Amino acid sequence: MPTLRSILGRAGLLLLALGALTLVLVDVGSIWLGSKTQAYGLALERAQRIRVLAGEMQNRLDDAETGQRGYLLTGDPAYLDPYTKATKLVQDSFEQLRPRFRGTPDQPVLDRLIQVADDKLTELRLTIALYDAGQHDQAIAEVKTDRGKIMMDQARGLIANLVESADANIRHSAEDMRWGSSALQIATVAGSIIVVILVTGTGFIVRGYTAQLERASAEVELANHSLEGRVQERTADLMQANEEIQRFAYIVSHDLRAPLVNVMGFTAELEVGLGAIQKMVGAVEAARPDLVGQDARLAVTEDLPEAVGFIRSSTTKMDRLINAILKLSREGRRVLTPEPIDMALLFGGIADSLRHQTAAVGAEITVQEHLPGLVSDRLVLEQIFGNLIDNAVKYLDASRPGRINISARALAGRLIYEVADNGRGIAARDHERIFELFRRSGTQDRPGEGIGLAHVRALTRRLGGIITVRSEFGQGTRFEVDLPRILTAQTESAES
Amino acid sequence: MTASPETVTIVMIEDDEGHARLIEKNLRRAGVFNEVVHCESGTAGLKYLFEARTANPNPLLILLDLNLPDMTGTDILEKLKADEHLKRAPVIVLTTTDDQREIQRCYDLGCSVYITKPVNYEAFSQAIRQLGLFLSVIQVPKVP
Repeated sequence: MPTLRSILGRAGLLLLALGALTLVLVDVGSIWLGSKTQAYGLALERAQRIRVLAGEMQNRLDDAETGQRGYLLTGDPAYLDPYTKATKLVQDSFEQLRPRFRGTPDQPVLDRLIQVADDKLTELRLTIALYDAGQHDQAIAEVKTDRGKIMMDQARGLIANLVESADANIRHSAEDMRWGSSALQIATVAGSIIVVILVTGTGFIVRGYTAQLERASAEVELANHSLEGRVQERTADLMQANEEIQRFAYIVSHDLRAPLVNVMGFTAELEVGLGAIQKMVGAVEAARPDLVGQDARLAVTEDLPEAVGFIRSSTTKMDRLINAILKLSREGRRVLTPEPIDMALLFGGIADSLRHQTAAVGAEITVQEHLPGLVSDRLVLEQIFGNLIDNAVKYLDASRPGRINISARALAGRLIYEVADNGRGIAARDHERIFELFRRSGTQDRPGEGIGLAHVRALTRRLGGIITVRSEFGQGTRFEVDLPRILTAQTESAES
Repeated sequence: MTASPETVTIVMIEDDEGHARLIEKNLRRAGVFNEVVHCESGTAGLKYLFEARTANPNPLLILLDLNLPDMTGTDILEKLKADEHLKRAPVIVLTTTDDQREIQRCYDLGCSVYITKPVNYEAFSQAIRQLGLFLSVIQVPKVP
């Protein structure tokens, strides 16, 4: 999976980068074409303006010359009017044209035109000045030299050059724009094709990836299912093993009981017989003291009764132990009946039943508010917590007032009930031992067979739970009973 | 036709000799002096019962232990109750088992009385003596 993901990631990233690059290129092309279009527009505007200005200049020079000619012919100053106006306006035209050519290859042409126009105007001024001075012939002779005409022709040529140059500029820009436009068109088409390819490629990759993901998730689901199956199998195995152990305990305790009945029975018979013998020995001793030896009297009065007493106390104890095993095995055979249980009520009931003991030692049992309830077997829960709380009360530390606190917390479908006390505590080495049958911990100053916690653990397991202990010697003890929130009714093993 | 208590033969199927002895002793102490036939296994018990119909003319009362080495007491009970003649003989189950299901099963199969052997000997002998008193008053049909 990680390899696949990285490959997909790399390929996908590459495709995305290519797509982005394509878009950037197409964008740059568009911007470039925009600038070209703008340049074309400017060139067009400039060329038109130059045309107009150049035309105006031509007209003004023509006007100036026309005015000069009319004046020289007629001598009438009224003819000088166009000349006077035009010479002023020609300067205007210069001023307007100059910035448009500054820094361009055509600037020398303009400079030359301005020079020629200046020269022409100087020539005109000179002839008019001669005429005004009365030297009519000299003025006409000056015109006749054709200098003025040549200058005019030069000026016309230069103006045409400028217009031509501006027109060339337009053509150039238009050419540029056309080229850029077609280049952009090609780039756009190519870009689109690339994007389509990339999208398709990415689509394929995503589809492949999705399919792989689906396959993987199906595999995970399958694994989960088989895991569940395995857990169920194991649980079934475990339950079977548990049943076998309980069956074993049941059979063993029964089979142990049978000989015990004999031991006890014949011990009783021995006692009865012993009584008869004691009576006889007493009678014989009273009648013939010499017939009863010291040994016989000791045997009858001390040794035999003592032996019978030990046999009796041992068999009684053995009977208790066997009964404990039997009880334990019987618990495993009881059919569980899950029902919703108000745990606050259950703990309250246990605390009430222990009120007598707690009051006697000044202990206090507190139950957490809003204790969560669960669905389980009431009797078993009563036995589990009854035992635990009973133990807590039983093994308090006399040096401080007893505090027993019951709380609960939820954890993923399970509930953990905690019985905590500030009693005498359990040494760490005994933490496992206390759950074993017939084993006890600490000072043996309280009655008991060492059955309670073994029983509690068996019952907790029966409910699908776990019991753990945390304790520090001399500080207190905390039992945690971890139970499923809902107990599912199992099929029970029957009969012995 | 019924038989008087004295002529009833008590057939005790019990593998534990000690138990058998203690039961017999306590029955005697209760004043039961009927003939007691002790069979030490299920097989021996069945053999006696099925032959007794011809060999022993007395009506029968059966004391049955459930935990036998060769078969369970319930097997014997089933066989007895399936037999045309023996099915009327009262069967008293006297065993250590006090499992409720076991008790139910025995009554379902037609046992007359189910008594759990107390481990405590005083209680045990008390129970047997009471059984003896009980035996002295019940009527037992004659096995034809």
